[in-house]
Amino acid sequence: MSFISHIAIGQYIPAESYIHRLDPRCKILITIILMIEIFMFKTFYSMLLWGIFLPIIIHYSRVPILAVLRSVKPIVIFIIFTSFIHLFGTTGRVLFAIGPLSVTAEGCVHAVTMSLRLIYLVLYAGILTLTTSPSKLSDGIESLMTPFKTIGFPAHEVAMMITIALRFIPTLFEETNRIIKSQMSRGANFNTGGLMERAKAYIPVLIPMFALVFMRADTLATAMESRCYRGGVGRTRMHPLTWSIRENIAMLFFLLLSVFVYFVDRKFV
Amino acid sequence: MSVFKVSSSKTRNLIYCSLFAGLITVGAFIRIPLPFIPITLQFLFTNLAGLLLGPILGATAVSVYIIIGLIGLPVFTVGGGLGSVLQPTFGYIIGFACGAWVGGHVAHRKESPSNKRLFMAGISNLAVLYLFGTVWYYFLAKYYLGTPKGIWTLFVFCVAVFIPGNLLSCILSVPIAKRLLPLIKVNK
Repeated sequence: MSFISHIAIGQYIPAESYIHRLDPRCKILITIILMIEIFMFKTFYSMLLWGIFLPIIIHYSRVPILAVLRSVKPIVIFIIFTSFIHLFGTTGRVLFAIGPLSVTAEGCVHAVTMSLRLIYLVLYAGILTLTTSPSKLSDGIESLMTPFKTIGFPAHEVAMMITIALRFIPTLFEETNRIIKSQMSRGANFNTGGLMERAKAYIPVLIPMFALVFMRADTLATAMESRCYRGGVGRTRMHPLTWSIRENIAMLFFLLLSVFVYFVDRKFV
Repeated sequence: MSVFKVSSSKTRNLIYCSLFAGLITVGAFIRIPLPFIPITLQFLFTNLAGLLLGPILGATAVSVYIIIGLIGLPVFTVGGGLGSVLQPTFGYIIGFACGAWVGGHVAHRKESPSNKRLFMAGISNLAVLYLFGTVWYYFLAKYYLGTPKGIWTLFVFCVAVFIPGNLLSCILSVPIAKRLLPLIKVNK
């Protein structure tokens, strides 16, 4: 049996598209601004508009629509839960009543708007990670955080740590599975006994796991330093990020869109 | 020579933080199949990050884990992405980082911490974790969901249901930290 459920780390889907080719900095900036806008624009109509743009962006990113929709899965229960609260908890014009609970028209609109808002947040963020490889993402983050270096923020180190962690997450999963299996073959029992015994059964798994990590860290540190790694100062990139006319167009288009949605939102507020 | 400007320990500390962030991700997906509430090893690992790496590196490791989750990789137990800020449980995720910092401080006050100190470090980590988790949920419920919760409900849903599993993690992390502390070569 497997204790570790499968997760899709690095859901990146490689493809040739305009969205894929965009500079990661541009995509990250747009996503962050978009998230703030989704929060601030409160009307149902602005939600509707974001919904119209979503399939267009998905189409141009050439990512299978199912892959994008899959990112909603983890929050489905949360969405249903909040919808119910809004559906029954809002006062207003009563549409119908089930026992003591009454559904209002305002409640319906509220529930749909709130659910859509959550779904969009996840979907737009999903498009970012589906179309940007993890290494490009961390490059983009490093570059965007560089201004904060002046106040002592270790932008390069953070990006480096993200890259290393992403590289090693699948390896660590594999190793953990291997350790669990080898301890089981030595007779370790994870499934019977009281609370304490079951928890204790994990000690022979966890200690080799951490010991392996320490060993690996030493080896990797030596490997990096023998290749002259000495932090971010003076480090160059194999593929430098470029901000070209393509990114300018994307930014301009996005800003125009935002202004449009803003006016629609103001009109119906 | 500028090549030797960065000491070996700095690179190693950086790698420790990254690998611990990876370990926390793995821990979030190992489920101990207990009756009623299955627990994940997420808290155990964030606690160990504080106990083994010390306050600063421990909190850094957890923060790297949080950043990876926020940029959209599904490393949290409930997924990932900026949208997870709106999850009722996101307070616990911030609490993991602050808790690791507090736990690391308590544990590393002494050169070689005793079992009791390691356990108390875990408990103080837990207290910080619950504080963040509850406060986050309170504000989310009040201002976002529009359904404020009473103090008793908050206690039951945000603290009480998690106590058995987390307490077990605290106890479990004592022998593990005791065994591993001599192995780790962190230069603080």
